[in-house]
Amino acid sequence: MEYILTVMVLIGINVILATSFNLILGYGGLMSVAHPIFYAIGAYCSGLLAIHLQIPVPLSILMGAGIAMVLSFGVSLPSLRVSGDYLVIASIGFQLGILHVINNLEFTGAAGGLTNIPVLNEGPSRSLVFVLLIAVVAACAVMLVGWIVEGDYGRAITAMRNDEEAFSALGRNAMNIKIVLFAIGSGMAGLAGALYAHYFAYVTPEQFGIFTSAALLTMVVVGGAATTWGPLVGAVLLTTLPQAITFLGLPVSIMAPLQGVIYTTLVIFFLFARPQGLTGGTRGGGGLEAWSASAAFRARRDAE
Amino acid sequence: MSAIVRIEDLHKSFGGIVVADDVNLSFEAGEIVGLIGPNGAGKTSLFNLISGVIPPDAGSITLEGHRVDQLPMHHRARIGLARTWQNTRMFHSMSVIDNLLIATRRYPGESLARILFRRRSVDAFRQQATEKAMVLLERVGLADKMHEMAIELSYGQQKRIGLARALMSDAACLLLDEPMAGVEGQAYETIIRVIREEAQAGRAVCVVEHNISFIRDISDRTVFMFNGCVLASGSVDELTRDSQLTDLYFGGEHP
Ligand SMILES: Nc1ncnc2c1ncn2[C@@H]1O[C@H](COP(=O)(O)OP(=O)(O)OP(=O)(O)O)[C@@H](O)[C@H]1O
Ligand SMILES: [Mg+2]
Repeated sequence: MEYILTVMVLIGINVILATSFNLILGYGGLMSVAHPIFYAIGAYCSGLLAIHLQIPVPLSILMGAGIAMVLSFGVSLPSLRVSGDYLVIASIGFQLGILHVINNLEFTGAAGGLTNIPVLNEGPSRSLVFVLLIAVVAACAVMLVGWIVEGDYGRAITAMRNDEEAFSALGRNAMNIKIVLFAIGSGMAGLAGALYAHYFAYVTPEQFGIFTSAALLTMVVVGGAATTWGPLVGAVLLTTLPQAITFLGLPVSIMAPLQGVIYTTLVIFFLFARPQGLTGGTRGGGGLEAWSASAAFRARRDAE
Repeated sequence: MSAIVRIEDLHKSFGGIVVADDVNLSFEAGEIVGLIGPNGAGKTSLFNLISGVIPPDAGSITLEGHRVDQLPMHHRARIGLARTWQNTRMFHSMSVIDNLLIATRRYPGESLARILFRRRSVDAFRQQATEKAMVLLERVGLADKMHEMAIELSYGQQKRIGLARALMSDAACLLLDEPMAGVEGQAYETIIRVIREEAQAGRAVCVVEHNISFIRDISDRTVFMFNGCVLASGSVDELTRDSQLTDLYFGGEHP
């Protein structure tokens, strides 16, 4: 029972992460893969604030999310100058740089990780309560992103993603939108990280590396980039799938690479065969279409 | 004189390719200027310089007396520059009407805070913008396509949508890059009429076209560009009488 509840907590965390990543990458078309670093910032900041300054956990969680939001300038500002493939590279640099710092600072626990983080709630049904809490937060995350991308603001986001130059030439400010999308998306990732930290009481730097970027990317692509429900579907599938593989009882030396292979295969398969993901309609792929089969369509347009 | 746009000593090169070589030009209110020249003359690049897609190496551009050459693109658009694109550049995952709404001067969805806290005024702006977009679609003869995806229309229809989109902001200066490409039949007359009406409303219009008879029909003054230089200016007939220019246009030698 406890095991199932723990998996459900992970699903909730991943729904928040994938949904917020989709806001940036799918809807915004902003090719940053550094999303896990905001997850890390939320987890570490909230954990450290609670441990060293004895800040009440609910407050430290909000502060962790807020700090992640502010630090999102670290990728949103470069995104004003570079885009596409260059932003991917800049964001990887940002992610690895901060991870390197976390890995080497003593007070973050270095490579060993941060331990003894106070938990948010205790008691006999602590996991059940936490599952309910995370379900509510995840539902709010999905609704918030749904609200942002519909209507007038959503139309502007779509236009910016379709053609930033044409968008700017019509008097629209792409810079504002990028900053807002990164801030909200990263804040949500920070919140997920803080919640994680105060449930498991322990985080390590390796949880927030490129592998996690790949996992989140897979969730978004498989579920359907730039769709409301896609990241949710992707997060549920790709959180339960590795758990299911665990039951095969394979040794760790095979397990870890196997997961990598599965993620990579899924991403490549979906980008080519079904860029709209499991839940998307006939058109789609959002910000990922430049990397997908519909890139051919864009190439045709640009060649004119 | 009331120059809407004034370009002085403008210079730009990409490596060895000079796209603007000491260009001096001005567009007056109510005037339609034709801009012609062979492929690669620098016509589109001049539009890119004026609208802010590329920064100039030297020189100045003023819009109604304000220096704009260092301003970001969206800022220039807001104070009165509108353009169309040679290759239409529709927002491809959006409907025709949404393509137009994006270009509204006071865009209702400019900030999330405004949408959240000033719902009433946002709704009013959207209402106004939608009505305006409908009128413009009517004028370019595509009102019945408003809910179709812009990218699914024919090239000529996309050109007309691009024109309507550029008219959404009531800009003082209109830069039209080959508005007639792919436009046929009745639509040809429609576009001529719309461009004339916009000039009569006091806007400065500059039109790039390879269709010389169209330029003859519509322009008050025509400018000939070659290798980034403005070589001559006058009526189309004056320019075509100059055999040196026609040679250049049709692939002759360097002067
Ligand atoms: N961003 C750029 N980088 C490098 N070279 C460029 C760039 N933009 C334009 N050029 C070059 O500058 C020259 C002028 O191009 P431009 O598009 O302005 O010509 P044009 O007069 O509009 O021609 P056309 O009638 O074919 O549209 C061309 O040789 C083009 O290849
Ligand atoms: Mg051109």
